[in-house]
Order: sequence, then structure tokens, then C-alpha cells
Amino acid sequence: MTGPVTHVLPRKAYRALEDIVGAEHVSEDPAVLDTYAFQWLAEVVRPRQSPYMPRPAAVVMPASTEEVQAVVKLANTWGLKVKPHSTGWYHWSAPVKDEDPTLQLDLRRMGRLIEIDESNMYAVVEPYAIAAQVQAEALKLGLNLNIPGVGCSSSIVASACAYHGAGPSTYFMGGNAENVLGMEWVTPEGDILRTGSLGSGDGWFCSEGPGPSVRGICRGTLGSRGGLGVYTKCAIKLAPSFGPTTWEVGGTLPAYRLPVAETQRVYTLAVPTWNAWAEIYYKIYDNEIGYIFHRQFNLAGADLAPAFWLMYNDHTKTLSDVPALVDQPQIKELTEEMRISFQIILAGRSQADIELQDKILDAILAEVGGWKVERFCETDMAEFTNMYLQRLGHKHINFVWVGGYIGSWMQFGTPDWVEGYVPIAIAGLERDAKGGLLVQCGGDAMMGSGSGVPGGGATGLEQFVSYDPADLESTKAGIRHMEDAVKDATSHGFPPGKEFIYLQIGWTDEEIWEALRNSRQPVVYDFQRQIKEAFDPNNVGDRMYPTLPAARLAGEHGNGT
Amino acid sequence: MALTDFRADALRCTRCSYCKWIPFDLVKSHRFAKGCPSIEAHGFHAYSAGGRLVTMLSLMDNRSEITDTVVDIAFKCQLCGNCDVACKLCRYDMEPLAALHELRAHLVEQGRAPESYGPIIERVRSGTGGKGYTPTERNAWAEGLGVKDLNTEKADVLFFPGCTYSLDENLRDTVRASVRVLLAAGVSVGVLPETGCCTGLAYHMGYRDDFTTGARRMLETWAWAGVATVVTPCADCYQTFKRLYPTVGGGIEVLHTLELVDRLIQNGRLKLTMPVPLTVTYHDPCHLGRQGEPYVPWEGVEKKIFGQAVVYDPPRPRYNGAQGIYEAPRNVLRAIPELRLVEMERNREAAWCCGAGGACREAYPEYSAWAASERIQEATATGADTLVTACSRCELNFTEAIAADSAALAVHDVLDLVLRATGEGGTSP
Repeated sequence: MTGPVTHVLPRKAYRALEDIVGAEHVSEDPAVLDTYAFQWLAEVVRPRQSPYMPRPAAVVMPASTEEVQAVVKLANTWGLKVKPHSTGWYHWSAPVKDEDPTLQLDLRRMGRLIEIDESNMYAVVEPYAIAAQVQAEALKLGLNLNIPGVGCSSSIVASACAYHGAGPSTYFMGGNAENVLGMEWVTPEGDILRTGSLGSGDGWFCSEGPGPSVRGICRGTLGSRGGLGVYTKCAIKLAPSFGPTTWEVGGTLPAYRLPVAETQRVYTLAVPTWNAWAEIYYKIYDNEIGYIFHRQFNLAGADLAPAFWLMYNDHTKTLSDVPALVDQPQIKELTEEMRISFQIILAGRSQADIELQDKILDAILAEVGGWKVERFCETDMAEFTNMYLQRLGHKHINFVWVGGYIGSWMQFGTPDWVEGYVPIAIAGLERDAKGGLLVQCGGDAMMGSGSGVPGGGATGLEQFVSYDPADLESTKAGIRHMEDAVKDATSHGFPPGKEFIYLQIGWTDEEIWEALRNSRQPVVYDFQRQIKEAFDPNNVGDRMYPTLPAARLAGEHGNGT
Repeated sequence: MALTDFRADALRCTRCSYCKWIPFDLVKSHRFAKGCPSIEAHGFHAYSAGGRLVTMLSLMDNRSEITDTVVDIAFKCQLCGNCDVACKLCRYDMEPLAALHELRAHLVEQGRAPESYGPIIERVRSGTGGKGYTPTERNAWAEGLGVKDLNTEKADVLFFPGCTYSLDENLRDTVRASVRVLLAAGVSVGVLPETGCCTGLAYHMGYRDDFTTGARRMLETWAWAGVATVVTPCADCYQTFKRLYPTVGGGIEVLHTLELVDRLIQNGRLKLTMPVPLTVTYHDPCHLGRQGEPYVPWEGVEKKIFGQAVVYDPPRPRYNGAQGIYEAPRNVLRAIPELRLVEMERNREAAWCCGAGGACREAYPEYSAWAASERIQEATATGADTLVTACSRCELNFTEAIAADSAALAVHDVLDLVLRATGEGGTSP
């Protein structure tokens, strides 16, 4: 294996870092640095499928906003880049270019849950406070929070301030892009900017005024993903939990179960066609029922999902048992019964409310020709589903087959628009998995939130494609699938999906600029360049905050301003 | 085994960081959600199981070398197994705990064990155990109890006290209590006075050859004495006998004393009649709980199904903590009149380590004490007046941490309370 590009910091700069955070909280040991360079998806974007992203020059663990600020200012002085991460997952949370000497900020020492304002229903957190922790404390007060689809191991600050935060509960609670209130932002120049009401000294309750209204600059739709400063605190909206304030978790590892309260219902629903799938989504939106709404279990693939989940719920079984289960007649029947299925949890404010929601759901099912999947609505599976979707503590099961997974598609839109790309996505995976270099679990391994916006209206389905990162040919097949998925989408009039975002991480600047220029609204990236020029004149942030160079756009879009 | 045997595990690690937390479904608060003492104390990702896998990969790829920092990364870890439980929530093709052992063994082979390990392993090699005591000192605990010498007599079970219980004067009462309880229930108890250390400590330090030598010696002794069942109050010895010895040889039934006591209570041979009006919280020792699952022999290979999904031929046993010894100690505690059992937030497979494991108590006492202090705070938060456990090293670490923290908490072995409940232990445990 080719050795990594290594950046050695000037001793004066390194000693200055030690002075800021303490010597024990900064490292340039190659082995330590490699644990930050190693990232999921690196192998699909790096030369020779290396599992390592560029190695940082040093890793630094600040403990406070002031320490973050001092490190960022030092980076400005020494011409270094700063790449922060909280829990640190995704290839883009590492440095993205070999030639950039980068300080990796690991924010794990900043994990406080600062407060929960019960009456105003928000929590104030630092970057390493994960969703599971915040939810556990919120539940005690009868409150809950939206957990992003990536799961409860994720940072609330990251999803709210710097990336995307939709999940199964977004339909009822809103996504974290909407739910973020006041933010504390260390800008790339090292200024501390407190946004919204926080900036006017009025507390955390509002993201945009009274005070600096810069949410659009900070995060937009997808967030700056560590490319535009460091978010050190934020407030996040909470929602009513409608359930018990303490969870009596049962079941046996790994399939824990959460009892279903009297005012809750947990269902796996199925429909006969994709058209009916779109229809039932609209009817659920229109009737305003539901609390958690997600297509979850299909991530294991429509051909294998029932067998897989029943295996998972038996702690004596392993993946080796799945083939025999798949062949059982009753499982085969179940597989067909729930081929187009999804999960929904209803939560009532009262017994009358839940009964009404139940009646409405039954009427909707009758109208679209859908049904409840009885086996998955039985107590054991209902409690498992309840636990899974309420806490999202098993999301890493995305990787269960072999340790490598790529999300392709996931374009976001109305259900009937999403219905339009479903057959293309299914055919694409079936085609690409045919050679056996990807996991063959059926063409439909698509999963996604019932709605990515509060109240319903827009959804998306992500195709779960599993490859073996320890097998070069399988990894290459995964990359080919990503490239194929882009072609499949664009040739059918759809924008490229999630795989396109993943792939770009490995591109050259010129390739990225070309893609931005060819995007539907290139002027956005010119506008972002101006934001970057204003907030990051020394180019401390990396290209995860995408911009077009001025000269490029000037020639094609007027004066480029 | 070698580092390269874990190359696929490293490449298939996705850096999800589950290994740093308890199983998420069991998180009940912000304060007690963390699961890995090592990453909590040392911070850098390298100090997690996922980070150690990458450290191994980096060494294999010749991207880095063995530095003092790498040694620190490998050995400042209790090998408590929380990472193994959490990782396997979602994975069937990863063995993080086995990988951590492999990294240690590799560094030992390279002559890069921590300096503090030297005298400890020498004592193990001399047959005097990690504590370095003579056989006479080791057996002083048994004086006057009336146990049989299996060199000359027969008994139902071999009682193996373990080095720490038998040698630490503050813990000898516990080991004596164990035997008195068994005798009171009519169990015929024997000992082998000349046997030394179980050598589990050598295994955890990374000295596999020393472990194997010690295990063979022990198994030969047992075979000569006709031992069929071994009972031990020490969770460390228990895990060594139950999980590690079968890799060398065996066919011996292994029971923790509390498993046997639970059986004796269930079948009516042991009556707990005296009230013990304490509010206790039980600490699951790692080696009795999540690492207390029985050994299943396996020799096989990886194969793929459905194109790329990884399985093993024949199916590989799955150690994920689900079948650890969690209920027997709790059953025993519940059988004690007027005793109230309250649970810590992190219990059973999610228990936070006492800090002593992985030879950290010996090599890194400050770090070990910090981990114990964390657990004391969790125990205190339950409102219990007494912290009970079933492992000598847990008890020692907790006792010292309580003294250092001036915490208002008593520490006892479950067996101390059992003896009291039989009416033979006096009024004060």
C-alpha cells in the first residue's frame, strides 16, 4: 500500500495547540491519525480503493467554545484547514484533499446536554451529545425529539446545524434543519456568532431573529458538512412524546423490545402496488394520523427482509440461518405479503384519539386495498418495531450483510414522483447485483422516511446496496453501481441521488466545479462563494461547503456576483 | 491467530462508534450512556474498539509503526467486552474483543508490552500467581473449614478460590463464606492445595504461551485428581475456566459459586431465613456477565451467501453477551429476606466495567481507579446503601474507589450476604 501524504506541523504551531487544549488532547502519532483517516466510504472514492481518507496533520480535542475559537484562529494564522466532527461518521468528516494540511477537530469532549427548557420545549446541546442521550432525558419530561435517519448514535448539533436531519419521526416532529433554534457558531475566521434570539441576548428560542438570521448561510438544505466553521452549541425543538416517561425495555439482545402503550399502535402495513403506496402516503398525510412513519425493514431487501428480521429476533440464530428461513413456505408467503410495505406508529393524546386514528387507518387501508401484515403486528414484532423506530438504536444494521453499504437514489419529492423512480432503482440493483459482487437481496432494498418534512408532503427512498469493503472486486462493483445509478437517474429525467454526493468526495476540484456548473441552479454556488469569501477569507474550511470559483462563473453567468 | 486474521474485520468496520456506547435501546440518561471506559478516559478514537481495529490495519499496511502511543492504545483497555456487545447489535461478521486480544498478543510477541507487566508475568511463570505468594500462604484461607483435600479424598466439587480471594486478607472472609454456604447446603467441597494461578491474567495481558502452559498444567492436575466440576467465587477464574481452558482441553463443568447457590436455593437445599435489610445494587462483573457465555468449539471458514453476505461454514458461535450469567446472582439476592435490589442504569450486558480488567489494575492503577469511581457514582445514584458484586477484583477496585471518593456506600460480595441470610454470618456483613 502506498504511504500516506504526511503533513508535519511547525513545532511552534503544534506547541500552540498543546497550549490551547492541553498536550494530552492533541496528537500527531501516525497510528492515531490513521484512526481518523479511516472512514466509511473512503474505499469508494480514494485511489486504489484505499480505506483511508487523507491523513490529518494533527487531531485536536477542544473542550469549550473558547478552545475551538483559539484553534480556528491558530489555523488562520498558520494556513491550516480545520475539519470538525462530532461523532465522526462519513468519509467527508475526514480531510478531503491530500495536499491540505488539516487539523481534525474531534469534538467528543464537548458532549454536554446544557438544558432542557420544558415549558418552551427545547434542549440545548453540545456537539457530542447524541440523540439517544437527549431523547432519554426528554422522555422523562414527556417530551421527545426527532432522531435523524442515521440513528440515535448521531450528534444533534451535526444534523441540526451542519447536515441533514430527517428521520422516521420527521413527519410528526419536523426535521432537524427546521427544528434548530439558536446556534453558537465559531466562524472560519474564529469569531463567535450566536444566531437568532441567542444573538440578541434573548435565549435560545428562535433561530431567525431577534438577532442574526443566518440559518440559510450556516446550513441551507444539506448543511456545510464541516466546511464552514464549527458549531459548538445549538438548541433543538422538542415534541410531545405521548408515551411513558420511562421505558421498560425488554427482549433479548440484540432485538430489544419496547411495550406498546395503550394509546399507541405499531403496524407494518402493505399495499399491492407502488401506485397504492403513493396513494396511502397521501392519505396518511391528508388525514394527519401517525407519529412515526417510515419504510424501515425493507433495507434488508424485499426478498430477504422477513426472514432476516425473524432471524434477528431469535438470539440463537445468525445470518447462516437466513437461507433456510427464506425457503420455508410460510416465510415465502410472508415475503410476498409484505413486498411493498412500511411501518407506522400511531400515538394518541387519549384513548379516544388513538381509536379514531385506528379507524381512519382502517378506512385508508380499505380505500387503497392495503392490509396489516399480521405477523409483524403480533406483540413480539410490534414491540421490536416500536423499540427500533422510537430509539433508532439499530441503524447500523445497514451494514449487516457484509460491512459495506452505499445509499443510492433517495431523491426527495412527492410520493407519486418517488413512485416514478422506484422501478428504475429496482431494475438497477437487480442488474448490478446479478454478477454476485453485490448482496443479492432483491431489487427493492429501499428505505426512507414517510415524510421528510413535518406534516407530510414529500418523501424519498434510499436504495441499500451492500458490498464487501474487504473484497476489492466487490468494492469496485459498488462503485460501478453508484455510477450506474447516476446514469439511470439522469437518463430517466431524475436528478442524481445520494450516490452522486458520495462520489463527489473523491473528485478533483475541476470535476466538482464542472458538476456545479451543470447543476440546475449554478448561481447558488456562486452565491456560496461570496459567503465563503465573507466568512472564510483564509480558506480554512474545506470544499464540503461547495462553491464555484469566481472566474469560472463570471464567464458563463454574467459578472458572477 | 495473527493480526492478519483480523484484516477483514478492520476493513469491514464502518466507524459507527457503537463500540463507545452501551446498547442504545438501554440508554436511560445522558449521564450513564457511555459504555467504553478506555475512550472515555483517553479521548482519541484510537482508544475505542473501532480505533484499535484501524490501528491494527495501519500497522499491517506499514503506514505506522509500534510507538509508545500504540502500546498505550493497546493496553489501556479493560477488555471488558462492552464493545463486543454493542458492535454485535448489528453485526454478525465482527469480533472486536478478539481483535483487541490479538493486538496485545502481537505487541507482546514484538517485545512491546508495558514495562509494568514484567514482574507480574514473572510471578505467573513461577507458578505463584500474579500476586507472587507461596502455596502455604495461598491456602491459609481454608484453615478450619473442613474442606477435603482432593489429593487424598473425593468430593462433589473442586472449590477454586482464586488468587485475589485467597490472598487478600480483606477478601478471605468472602471465600470462607462461599465454602461455609456450600457446606451448609450439604455440598461436599474439596480443594487442591498445590494449584496456583488460573493464568487467565497472562492471557489478558497478551502472554498466550504462558496461559497455555498454565492451563495445561492445571488441567493435568485436575485430571489426576478426577475433578468433574469446578466451583469458583471469582468471576475472572470462572471466565478463564469456562471460555479459555476449553481452547486447551477440558471437559470440566465450570460453575460460579452463585450459580450453584442459586440451584441450591431453587431445589430447597439452602434456606435463606435471616433478614438482611439492605438496599443493594448489583454490579455485573464482565467475566461473569457478557463474557460468561459458554465456550463452543468451532473451526471453520468464511463463506458468502446471496452473493456477498458473510457467513461461516460451519456456523460460527456467536458470543454477544446475550447468554451471560445475569440472573443467578439476582435470583440469590431476591431470595434474601428483606433485601431490596435496585438496578443501576447500566446493568447486565450494558454494565460499566469496574476498571480492574485487562490487567489495568496492575498496569494503570489511576485509570483503573477512575473507571471504578465512575461506577461508584452510578451505584450511588440508585439510592442503594450497598454495592454487591461477584468478583474479587471488582470488589477490591470498588473498595478503594469508595475510600478515595469518601462515598457513603458499602461493598460486599453477594456471598457475604448469603452467609448472613443463612444465619451463620453474624448480623453485620
